[in-house]
Amino acid sequence: MAAINQPGSSVLKPAALSSSDGNKKVEEFTIRVPKDKKKTYGMMKLSSGSDVDFLKLSQTTVKMERENNLKEYKTANDLESAPKFGAGSEFGREQKEEARRKKYGIIRKKYNPEDQPWIMKIGSGKQARRYKGTREGTITDNTSYYIFTKSADGAFEAFPVEEWYNFTPMIRYKYLNSEEAEEEFKRRDHTLNLFSVMVRKRIKNDNSNEDGEEVEKKEKSKGKKSKSFLLTDMDEFGDLSDDDDEEEDGEGEGDDEEKPKKASKGKKGKGVEKRKKNSKHNSDDEAIEDSDEGDFDDREVDYMSDSSSSMSELEDRDKLDKYEEKGVDEEAGLKKLIDSEASSDEEEDKNKEEDGEQEDGSKVKPEKVKKEGSESSSSSSSDSDSDIEKEEKFSSVLFMQKKSSSRSATPTSFETEDKKAGTKRKPESEMPTISLPTSSKKIRTESPITAGSGASEGITEEAIRRYLMRKPMTAKELVQKFKSKKLHMTKEEIIGKILQLLKKIKPEKKKVNDKLYLSLPKTD
Amino acid sequence: MSASPTTEKLHEAKELDLTLSGRGVWLVKVPKYLSQQWQKSPGDVGKLRISRTDIPGRKPEVTLKLNDEISQTKIPGQPPVPKDHKLMLTGVGDQNLVVFSQSVGTDKLAVEGKVIQRAECRPDDKDGIYMKRKRIEVMKMNQPKREVIQIKGVVPVYKPKSDHEFNIQHQKKLKEDGKRTRDDKEKVQNMLFAAFEKHQYYNISDLVRITNQPISYLKEILKEICIYNMKAPHKNMWELRPEYRHYKDTTS
Repeated sequence: MAAINQPGSSVLKPAALSSSDGNKKVEEFTIRVPKDKKKTYGMMKLSSGSDVDFLKLSQTTVKMERENNLKEYKTANDLESAPKFGAGSEFGREQKEEARRKKYGIIRKKYNPEDQPWIMKIGSGKQARRYKGTREGTITDNTSYYIFTKSADGAFEAFPVEEWYNFTPMIRYKYLNSEEAEEEFKRRDHTLNLFSVMVRKRIKNDNSNEDGEEVEKKEKSKGKKSKSFLLTDMDEFGDLSDDDDEEEDGEGEGDDEEKPKKASKGKKGKGVEKRKKNSKHNSDDEAIEDSDEGDFDDREVDYMSDSSSSMSELEDRDKLDKYEEKGVDEEAGLKKLIDSEASSDEEEDKNKEEDGEQEDGSKVKPEKVKKEGSESSSSSSSDSDSDIEKEEKFSSVLFMQKKSSSRSATPTSFETEDKKAGTKRKPESEMPTISLPTSSKKIRTESPITAGSGASEGITEEAIRRYLMRKPMTAKELVQKFKSKKLHMTKEEIIGKILQLLKKIKPEKKKVNDKLYLSLPKTD
Repeated sequence: MSASPTTEKLHEAKELDLTLSGRGVWLVKVPKYLSQQWQKSPGDVGKLRISRTDIPGRKPEVTLKLNDEISQTKIPGQPPVPKDHKLMLTGVGDQNLVVFSQSVGTDKLAVEGKVIQRAECRPDDKDGIYMKRKRIEVMKMNQPKREVIQIKGVVPVYKPKSDHEFNIQHQKKLKEDGKRTRDDKEKVQNMLFAAFEKHQYYNISDLVRITNQPISYLKEILKEICIYNMKAPHKNMWELRPEYRHYKDTTS
């Protein structure tokens, strides 16, 4: 750069030519710093890529404005424009805010429009190009910049540059933000691994299959709640042909079971259906396995008190498990009782019955009664049971399910029972398919239960005796025991009942740690 | 802090005057001390001497000589400034630098020209004034900001006080006010309604101050006609029950 560009477009005339010795030309200018500041100067640094030339733009309109960031400022500083008066306003809110800020030493910057970036719009309408000029901060920290222009009288005028703005074009289209770009960048070396693709695909397929199955199951369970308890796959097959029977069931129930059934239909009705279905497929089972009737006879005798009942070993174990669920102590107590009173089947049955009652209410009873109906008059038995049934309606179906399941394991016995009962199972005869293994003994034990049905609700003298014989208890514990049975009684009722029975039993009283323990000597 | 008309006006788009866009200007980087000197005593500050040679390929020499009175004017706490400076000329490169100005009163925007030459003003330190200045600056910089001073006399420490004057006055004032007495319920309710007309939400302490009622009594009344907000936006504040309030919707 041999020659320097003189500021000012006009031809430079030297104000004072002092000397020109030989090949040297010297020009001298005075530098003037204007006294009055009419204008403030700023520097526009237009990005090198952009071709903004204001000389060429003399025809187009160029507008500049400060970016309006008031909203952003307000949101950033939690200055929501809450009304100062009237609805939604808080008394003394601003003062409180101010006090709070002072307390925590928060000094808030005021919003200054002069500090906002410039926005330059070249052209108008949709063709307008926009540039955003952000202030560059540090550039004038340690030095200052002046622009030198030539004034009319030939002197140089020096104006300080106060701000620098870096103008960059504003991008209107969508672009990846830094995180997205990072993600994409990660994928730059990504090669398609066919193997992994296939594996992923397979996994996906498996999942979808499973899902399908699950959906099916869900639908089924929705349809018939009680079917959630399925012992074998055969149960599911049975479902397919079951629907007609169910309908018929419903009709049958309507005949003589209308009242009690209605409320319990949800649970009990379904339970019955299920039972029936099971029995059905059991018969199928039998045909396949070709098992003989007496197959399980020897085992039965070992475990069952009722010799005529046809529970298999398996199902017996089931039953035992069930009792364990209820409480090991009970089970132990039961065993003891069985040991001690093995003499009479009836007694035992009664115990069992009571247990059953305590746990689930005598759920099976009405069904059993129904069963009887074929032999005796169903009406007579049902009226004695009706109130009990009401209690039972709400109790769990578990017991029933258990029975039905156990039955599925003993197809042969089932058949025999059927024959014994002398009732051919017809779909119309609603209830007959109730747990047959218990039915025979139920028939026998019917009288004690009906007698005890007045006492009912599980709180019996026998039960209390059993508890007290097992271990000494306070009255409170005793109440607790019965309360946990979820009988449909109020606490007062339970207490009253227990007190009444305790008076009858007259247990031994012992005081330990200021607590009165009741107990009974073990009777052998 | 609200959007006042002035701020709105400041955000208005203004046309940029492009008439001077063809003018070429120099951009000169000037040391800070020089700038301070110039700002202190504006007017004619010095002479710019441009000497060209005929020798091709050689840059012209540009020197800046401050006027005597400028170089003599002293800024308190500042060492003297050198008189002679050299201007190193550099090109603009591919930078596109445009100067614009903003008129102070009218806020008119105008392009003042395009930078065609950049220059850097450096002290031409023949008499060592600049170096002296620099030395002083460095020494100043290296001075520790905190120093240990040995105390000779006794530093006054105030005795602890059992009760400060302010507290005494405050107690006195409270005593003078006496206990708040229960007013007629109707009257208190009217006061409350009047208060709730102005604002929707009130703190209990503010209401106590406004109505001058004992807090328990006030709460009794408030429970009848107000709801107590227990959740975030207006936590712990009372507001009128919907059946009592009739605010005009002025939120928009």
